[in-house]
Amino acid sequence: MAWQIHALAILKQSVGANVEMIEEITIAPLSDANRKKLEQALPMWKIVLSQFLEHKMAVGGAVIIFCFMILALSAPLIQTLTGIDPDAQNVFNRYQAPFSSAIAGQDIRETAIEKFRTEHPEIAESLEKSLIDKSLVTTTTPADALFELTTKDVPEAFEILEQVGTNQAKELQQTFKTFSTYHLFGTDELGRDVFIRLIYGTRISMSVGVLVAIVSALAGLLIGSLAGFYGGAIDTILMRLTDALLSLPLLPVMIVIAAIDLQKLPLLKSLVSQQNESILKMILILCLFSWMTVARLVRGSILSLREREFILAAKTLGATDFTIILRHMFPNVIAPMLVSITLGVGESILFEAALSFLGLGIQPPTPSWGNMLFNAQELIYQAPFLAILPGIMILLTVISFNYLGDGLQDAVDPKAIRR
Amino acid sequence: MTTYILRRLIQTCLVIAILSYVCFYLMTLMPGDPVDLMASSNPKITAEDVIRLKQLYGLDQPSYVRYGHWISEIAQGDLGYSRTYRVPVTDLLGPRLLNTFILSMVALGFSLMIAIPVGIISALRPGSKMDYIFNFFSFAGISIPSFWLGIVCIIVFAVWIPLFKAGGTQTIGGPEFGFWGAILDRSKYLVLPVLSLSLQQIGRFSRFTRSSMLEALRNDFIRTAKAKGLPRQVIIWKHAFRNALIPLITILALSMSSIFSGAIITETVFAYQGVGKLTYDSIIGNDFNVAMVSFIISVAMVLLMNLVADLLYGVADPRISYT
Repeated sequence: MAWQIHALAILKQSVGANVEMIEEITIAPLSDANRKKLEQALPMWKIVLSQFLEHKMAVGGAVIIFCFMILALSAPLIQTLTGIDPDAQNVFNRYQAPFSSAIAGQDIRETAIEKFRTEHPEIAESLEKSLIDKSLVTTTTPADALFELTTKDVPEAFEILEQVGTNQAKELQQTFKTFSTYHLFGTDELGRDVFIRLIYGTRISMSVGVLVAIVSALAGLLIGSLAGFYGGAIDTILMRLTDALLSLPLLPVMIVIAAIDLQKLPLLKSLVSQQNESILKMILILCLFSWMTVARLVRGSILSLREREFILAAKTLGATDFTIILRHMFPNVIAPMLVSITLGVGESILFEAALSFLGLGIQPPTPSWGNMLFNAQELIYQAPFLAILPGIMILLTVISFNYLGDGLQDAVDPKAIRR
Repeated sequence: MTTYILRRLIQTCLVIAILSYVCFYLMTLMPGDPVDLMASSNPKITAEDVIRLKQLYGLDQPSYVRYGHWISEIAQGDLGYSRTYRVPVTDLLGPRLLNTFILSMVALGFSLMIAIPVGIISALRPGSKMDYIFNFFSFAGISIPSFWLGIVCIIVFAVWIPLFKAGGTQTIGGPEFGFWGAILDRSKYLVLPVLSLSLQQIGRFSRFTRSSMLEALRNDFIRTAKAKGLPRQVIIWKHAFRNALIPLITILALSMSSIFSGAIITETVFAYQGVGKLTYDSIIGNDFNVAMVSFIISVAMVLLMNLVADLLYGVADPRISYT
């Protein structure tokens, strides 16, 4: 209790007269558990986390991003659950309004029946027989019986199959079920379901954004640390290049690069296949023009780190340049880099959407938010929701990433830490 | 000062020269060259004709030889001929440049007019409700895709409430307006593009104004000025804002490139006849001469703006000297 006595002594000194009264005050001794809690230093990540949690909008952004990530990852699962194919076209149900259901066209139904007949010839035969026997259909030729069902409304055909009442009829009912599809967000210009395409678009746009941000951060880290650590001619060349790229109007340059045919470049020929060309090209272009901010940031912090004592100590101990950069400098740059990666994701998503919107980015039929908007432009008056939905997705994602970056910036900034 | 400007000018020219070569090379990588296109649209052209034509136009030569040829023609003042518009490039560019200049300058002025007061108000009361709301709107402004905003603007302000024109630059074939009438007519077409172009800039500028103003207000001389009993307006505008202006000029210079990038999208959405749309159309339509010239002009404009901004530093902050 040494510190309590000491505190009392100080109090006595300062107050003087009312010593008696003060001696009445007893200070409850701390329990061992509480003391341990008080004395334990908070780890860095806990401080950062508590700082971050104070920024309500940033937390909201993180939650939205998390939800979108889950949505993007579970896209195939949602597809199997709802049974809607993102590429299934239905020209008779173009531009359906949201919350509507659509019936598959006659040709699609007949193909499905044909498929059913070739896959299960015996079931089809017995079904046709019982349909004619019970005179549920008007034709007498067995081959036409099932096809006649397709001309009826789905519930009506369903009922007829119900009357047949065998297990085999149940199987055909499943086929009929797929003819009627429910579209939460309506359908687009080819009658494809907008909802499932938006989810697949999330997958594409998010992965492009995240990949670009990570790759460009790594490139920026490399270039920035080389320039900052070695200085001299390397620094001058790399930084002039960075400045030149930073001052360029990005979109015209990107359009020029996006318009080229990668197959004409000898080196990339083997890497690029027809299918993923547009996505790969997109990532390449965006990476090419987004490493500059990270490079400048890293260079700046490494320039100031270079003069610090612990780097000098490492050097005197004989550490190689590689070790110094990797072990002693990078941990100090990680925090601001994290912020710039987060902000970079939002920017990349915007650029991807812009290029796809101009028809130069991700090529259909692969859905991305940008090319969905591009296609929606054609019939903007009749189907405005087609243009509005992908835009809202972009806006929500980008604003979430920006808030997340802002929150992280406040959280990792040592000057802003309040205890 | 003069040597500084000269050095910067030479640097800028060098960057433009390098970029123009890169762009020239990239354009040779685009699918289909002019002769291929000609052959595909005219079945009478045989394979031998194609080879002969390629030799005639020098298309079979490596790109640097063609670049040298092209640049020597440019140096003689011959910008070439547009394949799609069937007019010399020089005739095409003049009015387009003016249109883009009007659009981007109006957008820039508009965004500064809104962003600076907003930024200053939030900086004067950091943490207040006003600051919070403004902050949210600047974030929304930065994050909103400008092409989507353009589409929404068209739906709302041109279709649902037909206040403004959905696209175009000015009314064609109408009655004569006179000077003021023409301006009014053009401004009707300008409102929506300017709105969609400036929103992102407003968000960026206001956030920047806020942070640099906060920084400036933290200085010791502000406290001194307050202690002296200077009026609030004088402290804000003369002591704080002038110092906040320096970083603002940086972002202004850097935003020139993003305004120009934005102009391409905005002009495409609103069918506004500017350089941005011309660049886009010519690259898409394989209109080689127009694409090269408009690309170089747009890059040069942005780079020159950066130079002007660098020079403006000296005006805002006398401590900066050019050596």
